[in-house]
Amino acid sequence: MPGSAYILAEGGPSLLQVLAVFAGAAFLMAFGVLVLGLLFRPRLRHPEKDAAYECGEEPVGPGWVQFDLRFYVVALVFLVFDVEIALFYPWAVVFGGGTAPGAAWDALRQIRAAALWDMLFFFGVIVVGFIYLWRFGYLDWVRVVGGRPDERQVAATRQAPAAGTAG
Amino acid sequence: MGWIQNRFEENLVITSLDWALNWAKSNSLWPMTFGLACCAIEMMATGAARFDIDRFGAGAFRATPRQSDLMIVAGTVTCKMAARIRRLYHQMPDPKYVIAMGACTIGGGPYFKYGYHVVKGVDLIVPVDVYIPGCPPRPEALLEGLMRLQDKIRQGTIARPAQPA
Repeated sequence: MPGSAYILAEGGPSLLQVLAVFAGAAFLMAFGVLVLGLLFRPRLRHPEKDAAYECGEEPVGPGWVQFDLRFYVVALVFLVFDVEIALFYPWAVVFGGGTAPGAAWDALRQIRAAALWDMLFFFGVIVVGFIYLWRFGYLDWVRVVGGRPDERQVAATRQAPAAGTAG
Repeated sequence: MGWIQNRFEENLVITSLDWALNWAKSNSLWPMTFGLACCAIEMMATGAARFDIDRFGAGAFRATPRQSDLMIVAGTVTCKMAARIRRLYHQMPDPKYVIAMGACTIGGGPYFKYGYHVVKGVDLIVPVDVYIPGCPPRPEALLEGLMRLQDKIRQGTIARPAQPA
């Protein structure tokens, strides 16, 4: 077993046990620090301490205001184009590289196939967002709400006879 | 104060804990940038490479009270600024300390007699731990003041005062 011999020795703890110890240590560290802070830190409440910070000025309203939901489009465009590139490029550079002797070659091929399917799945998720953006016209950056003035005029003259017949 | 404050009398565990807590508190004093006038130039020099306040763990100047432990009031405190200083002091998390830097901050300085707009000492607004005289104080003086504040922090204890027998 040349592949797994590097990870765990025969007769030693299993991978699951090692992971459990790691997870327990991580949990204890985070939890322990929180509990320690709870015991040691001073608790002196003051209404000003809970108020919003506005450079020392009297705060105007609370800090928890509702954000404009339409910013999700910016986040979506960022995710579709930037995060995709940031994840795809390093993956594409190393994908297909490397070699292994003997039995490890099969393991390497399996890992390659897994990497390909992982990335295809990620790409599929991203493509859904891309289709959404395209379908609802968020990729047209320069847009005028209600059309340009001359277009509005054309539309009005087109609708005028229809309105006349209806009335 | 915290749960452990004044809970146990002085013993080996508590004094060791005192040492550790005071070591952590005194060597990571993050100052808030509070340059109000010319003293701020000296404070900036203290933060820069030649005098290097970072040697004492106090070089991380924060632009928000939420992350700072030490307020170096450097400069003339006007009446208009006084309310802001007080609010910012209250917004700092405990434990918090104040250094009054320079003559204006200590007691009005050259504006004491005729400065109708100047607060005659920042200790009228917030509790001051260390006063650094000078007009303005040299960077070495600010470092000295910081070390005195560290001495003060290291004398603190979480132990309960011993009961009279």
